[in-house]
Amino acid sequence: MNLPLAALLVVLVAVIAASVALAAFYWAVRRKQFSIRDLNEGAYSIFDNDEPVGKPQDLMFDDSRKQDKR
Amino acid sequence: MTQESKTNVNEATERAKAFHQHETMDDTELRIKIDESVTSQTAIFFATSLFWLLIGSIFGLIASYKMHWPDWLGEYAVLTFGRIRPAHLNTVAYGWISLAGAGTLLWMTSRLTRVPLQWGWMLYISAFLWNVGVAFGTAAILFGYSRGMEWLEFPRIAGAIIAVGFVFFALPILKTFVRRKVKHIYVSLWYILASVVWFPLLYLTANFGHYQGVVEAGMNWWYGHNLLTVWVTPIGLAIAYYFLPKVIGRPIYSYYLSLLGFWSFALFYNWNGIHHLIGGPLPTWLVTVSIVASVMMVIPVLAVAVNHHMTTFKHFNMLKYSPTLRFTVFGAMSYTAVSLQGSAMALRSINEVTHFTHYTVGHAHLGVYAFSTMLLFGAIYYIMPRLSKWEWPYPRLVRLHFWLTAIGVIIYVVALTIGGWYQGLNMNNSDVSFIDSVVKTIPYLYLRSLGGTLMVAGHLIFIYHFVLMVKRAGPRRFAPPWFKKPVEESAV
Repeated sequence: MNLPLAALLVVLVAVIAASVALAAFYWAVRRKQFSIRDLNEGAYSIFDNDEPVGKPQDLMFDDSRKQDKR
Repeated sequence: MTQESKTNVNEATERAKAFHQHETMDDTELRIKIDESVTSQTAIFFATSLFWLLIGSIFGLIASYKMHWPDWLGEYAVLTFGRIRPAHLNTVAYGWISLAGAGTLLWMTSRLTRVPLQWGWMLYISAFLWNVGVAFGTAAILFGYSRGMEWLEFPRIAGAIIAVGFVFFALPILKTFVRRKVKHIYVSLWYILASVVWFPLLYLTANFGHYQGVVEAGMNWWYGHNLLTVWVTPIGLAIAYYFLPKVIGRPIYSYYLSLLGFWSFALFYNWNGIHHLIGGPLPTWLVTVSIVASVMMVIPVLAVAVNHHMTTFKHFNMLKYSPTLRFTVFGAMSYTAVSLQGSAMALRSINEVTHFTHYTVGHAHLGVYAFSTMLLFGAIYYIMPRLSKWEWPYPRLVRLHFWLTAIGVIIYVVALTIGGWYQGLNMNNSDVSFIDSVVKTIPYLYLRSLGGTLMVAGHLIFIYHFVLMVKRAGPRRFAPPWFKKPVEESAV
């Protein structure tokens, strides 16, 4: 079969892109990114002592009302 | 808060603390360091994005008025509809959304990896090149040098400048990720990394390949839709997954579902573009594959929708207080709406009515404005006070901005959805002449201009407020959250 060079290139790029995606998924599984225990803790990873769970952020309007009344 | 929930919160915080690998540095100290590492770069991206928002909005408004006043400004070639309309699309896509999105991704990447931004100097080059590329491309469109393909109107040279700018943007993101101090990759970071890797592949393939005829049309819509897939949507979802739980102070309802959503999104979304060519000269199987993938998108969309709704559920009262949450919830709800609408529009039976009508324009604005732009507004409202150490001075302006843009886009989308649907029915009805099908859309086009005018008014207020904040003009507010405790701040 005589495929034009452009078609070969497109197929090559597609295979590389798909391989990268599969490799990323495989890497993530090996690193236990999707294990149930880590998933439960992962959800909390955006919180810390400084911005802890249970402390809402960005309550500007609440504060503004208090200031407006002053 | 009950004693039991207090205990749960404390336990969760301890777990989160143990999960990180940064015990050597105090959390507050680390956060200040991280925010300072991205301050000037993020501010440059935001400020220039607002310039393009202003320019792009004015172009859009002129184009909208021309739909019902076709002779208006028609004597100037630069301001004719065929130039103003693509100039609007390109400035808001590559100027406003891309630059504001890039600024947001920078800040979020540093926060999520818990390390100060790496190779930050590259971002000055990136911002410069990106802006030069957009300015050059927009000028080329206005002076008649468009490439004539939707979303790809910029000449190749402008595309090349933007591509180099993107490389200088992607490298610091990837370097920061490599140096990360967290074991777990949070779902927003998955979306960020995916967009940083996918976008160059898409952009280079579309801009620098050589295509002709039907293949060119196929490539055009593969690119056009995938610009949303690999760039606009991941930015929006990364924002929603970070800011919803952060502002509320509760984790995502089902973290498992969020990752399922990401991977199914990665699997299905990039096949969708060819549904733009239903009825076109492409092989039927190719179009059908795209339709199937479009319908499969219901899976990740529902995963996101359920998660966002359940996370916000019982916390809707916080919408009263948080500007970020207002914009973010509006954007997240719009994502569900636009995605399900998009899946339906990919069905041949519906597409034969909506294709080539204003319905599609309404759908596009539900996506790129109600979803993406509103989320970006929310992100900027959250990020800027942390970078500038100065709270937004006038909450009333924030409220006004929200209501003008929210009501504006609702009017816009509802008018074009109804008007576009009737337009499609009339166009398919052989008893109605084509000109009649056009004339009957005019009342809806007036409503579209009304919605657009409200949105632009909102933008002007937002930009004015942004300038006040950067100049530290107006009253100083001592609102939470701050880098330090409010008591310490108030002593300044």
